[in-house]
Amino acid sequence: MAPLTEPSAGFKFDNVKRNQLLGDKGYKLPTATKTGTTIVGLIFKDGLILGADTRATAGPIVADKNCEKIHYLAPNMYCCGAGTAADTEFTTNMISSQLALHSLNTGREVRVVAAMTMLKQYLYKYHGHVGAALVLGGYDVTGPHLFTIYPHGSTDKLPYVTMGSGSLAAMSVFESRWRPGMSREEGIEVVKDAIEAGIFNDLGSGSNVDVCVITKGNAEYLRNYSTPNERVQKEQSYRFTPGTTEFYAPRVARQAQEPAEMDTSA
Amino acid sequence: MAALRAGEANLGTTIMAVEFDGGVVVGADSRTTTGSYIANRVTDKLTKVHEHIYCCRSGSAADTQAVADVVKYHLDMYSAQHGEAPTVKVAASLFQEICYQNKNNLSAGIIVAGWDARDGASVYNIPLGGSLHRETFAIGGSGSTYIYGYCDKVFRTGMSRDECVEFVKNSVSLAMTRDGSSGGVIRLAVITKAGVERIFVPGNMLPSQYLG
Amino acid sequence: MLSSITQAPVEAHSHNRWEPYVDNGGTSLAIAGADFVIIAADTRQSDGYSINTRYDPKAFELSNKTVIATTGYAADAKRLVEVMEQKAQSYFHKHERVMSTPAMAQLLSNTLYYKRFFPYYVFPILAGLDSQGKGAVFTYDPVGNMERTVYVACGSASALVQPFLDNQVGFANQRAADPNRLLDRETARKIAIDAFTGATERDIYTGDWLEIFTIDQTGVHREKRELKRD
Repeated sequence: MAPLTEPSAGFKFDNVKRNQLLGDKGYKLPTATKTGTTIVGLIFKDGLILGADTRATAGPIVADKNCEKIHYLAPNMYCCGAGTAADTEFTTNMISSQLALHSLNTGREVRVVAAMTMLKQYLYKYHGHVGAALVLGGYDVTGPHLFTIYPHGSTDKLPYVTMGSGSLAAMSVFESRWRPGMSREEGIEVVKDAIEAGIFNDLGSGSNVDVCVITKGNAEYLRNYSTPNERVQKEQSYRFTPGTTEFYAPRVARQAQEPAEMDTSA
Repeated sequence: MAALRAGEANLGTTIMAVEFDGGVVVGADSRTTTGSYIANRVTDKLTKVHEHIYCCRSGSAADTQAVADVVKYHLDMYSAQHGEAPTVKVAASLFQEICYQNKNNLSAGIIVAGWDARDGASVYNIPLGGSLHRETFAIGGSGSTYIYGYCDKVFRTGMSRDECVEFVKNSVSLAMTRDGSSGGVIRLAVITKAGVERIFVPGNMLPSQYLG
Repeated sequence: MLSSITQAPVEAHSHNRWEPYVDNGGTSLAIAGADFVIIAADTRQSDGYSINTRYDPKAFELSNKTVIATTGYAADAKRLVEVMEQKAQSYFHKHERVMSTPAMAQLLSNTLYYKRFFPYYVFPILAGLDSQGKGAVFTYDPVGNMERTVYVACGSASALVQPFLDNQVGFANQRAADPNRLLDRETARKIAIDAFTGATERDIYTGDWLEIFTIDQTGVHREKRELKRD
C-alpha cells in the first residue's frame, strides 16, 4: 500500500509538459475565462470609493449578467478584480485569509500597504501567468490608500484609478470630473458615471454598477447601486402546454409512500 | 536580455543623475505606459532605497520595483547590523548582483545615486546586461538616446548644485518632447549630507525650448 | 542599450500584419409567412470591444419588394449593397419593371460568386415575395451558396437565435405541432422582437437599435425600436 503523503501547497505543474506536447500536436487547450471589465477607485474627502460593473463574459457571450467584482479582503479593505476571473477570485481569497491571520497575530488592523505588498510579491512570482489586474482600496491607521496592481506585479499609488477593458472610458470621466476633497455624494456620482461609461462604451463591460464606500472604521458595500440595464418585457409568453416535449414510451413509477405520521400527542 | 512582455507596464523613460561637489541631483520624467496607453502620468521613478541613496528606474515597472524592494530590504538589514549607513557603492553593487545574476529574466536599467560619508557624492549606472559603471553623470531609458549629444556638450565638471538642477531639468525636458514614451512632469531629488530635497516641475512649467 | 528594451514593440504581430477582413458583429433574421415576410437586423457596428457606431443600418430596400440584410464585415457589406442597388436600378431602366425577388436572389448569388477568390466577407439574407405571393427567405454563404428557407438567423448571435427560431417558428421538439404551419404576421413580429431582446442580453455584439422590415403585397414597411445599449 502506498504511504500517505501530505498534499503539497500551492500550484501543481505536473501536467505542464504533457499539455505542451498536446498543444504542439494540434490539440486545442482550453482557455481561462477572461472578464472584460470596468473597475475604478477614487479618493474623496473622508475616504475612498471603489466601483465595478457586473458583466462576466466568455468570448462574445455574456456568461453572468450580475456577478460580483468587488472582493472582500479585510473589514477595512476591498479589492476590485479584472482579468482572468479565476485568478482574481483565488488571489483575493488567499490574500484575505493571510490578512486575517496577520491581524490575529499582531492584534492590529492590517495596513493597506501590507496587502498591496503581499499581492504584488505573489503576482511577481508568477511572471504575469496569474492574470489578476487589481484595484486595491482601504482605510487604515495612516488614512485612505488606493493602488492599482498589474498582473506582472507592478503597483501604482494614485488618487483616482481605473482598470480593465473599460478603463479608458472610465478614466475619461475621472480626468474631467475628479478633484481633491470631493464629498461622499459627489464621489459616488463620479464613480457611478465612470462605471457607466465603461458599461455603455466597452462591450466587455455591462449590466449594473456595484459601489463600495470605505471610510474611517466603516465599509459600505452598495450592491447594484445603479441598474441602468433592466430587461424589457417580452412581447409574448413562451410557456409550453404540458406534454409538448416528445417522448417514446411512457413509464409510470410509483412514488414512495410517505411514512405514517408519528403520534406525538401523548 | 528579456524583452518586455505584452500588456506589461513599461517605464519607457528618461532618467538622469549628476554628481556635484557635496551631493547628487537625480531626475526623471513621470510616464508609465501599457502599449500606447498612459497608465500613470505622475509616476515617481525615483525610489528611495536608503536615507541618502536613491535609484532611478527604467524598463519593466514590475521588475524594477521588485529589485528596488529587495535592495531596500538588504540595505535596511545592513545598516541595522553594522550600525552605520551603507555606501552608495554597496547599494550599487547589490543592484548589479541582482541585475547580472538574473539578466535573462529582467528588463531593468537602473541608475543608483546618493551621498555617503566615505566617498561623498557618487553616481553609478547599471545598464541592461548588469554591468556597473561609476560616472560623473548618467542618463538612461528610451528618452536618453535623444539627449546624448546635448548632455555631452552642456555638461561641465565642477557645476554648482543649482547648475546641476538646471542641467537635469533641461536635459529631461528635451528628451520628453522627442520621446513618445517619456512625458508628464519632471521629478527631481537633490541628495546631500544634509538630506534629500524633492523638486517637482509640473508639465506646464517645463523649461522653454523649440517645440516645432 | 536601454532603448532596445524600452522600444520593444508590444503586441507586435497583431499590429504589423495587415488584415483585409474585420468582423463588425451584428445579427439579422428573417421569417416567412403565407403572404408576407419579416426581415430584421440590429444596428450596432463594433470592432473588438469598441462600438464604432450605434446606428449603422444593416438592412436595405433593394426595391419596393425586396430587402437585403447583411452581417460580417461592414465595409464589404456596404459595397455589396451598393453593387446590388446599381444592378437593380440598371435592370429597372433596361426592362421598365422592378426585378422580382427570386431573380434578385439569383443575382445576389452570382454577384457573390463573382468574387470567389477574394470574397465579400458577408453573410447576407434576402427577403421578399415569390411569384405566387408567398413569403420567401434566401440565405447565403460569403461565396454565393444560396438556399431558400422559411426562417433563418445570421451573424454574431446566430447561434443563440437560430435554435429559438427552430423551436418557435419551425416547431422543433414540439410534439403536437405541425412543422409546416406558417406564422401569422403579429406572432412572427413578436418572435422577431423577442429574439433580438434575448440576443442583446447574451451577445455583446448585438444591441442599440432594431430595424424590422415587413414586406407584403402593399410594399415594404419599416419599424425602428430601441435595444439595450450595454
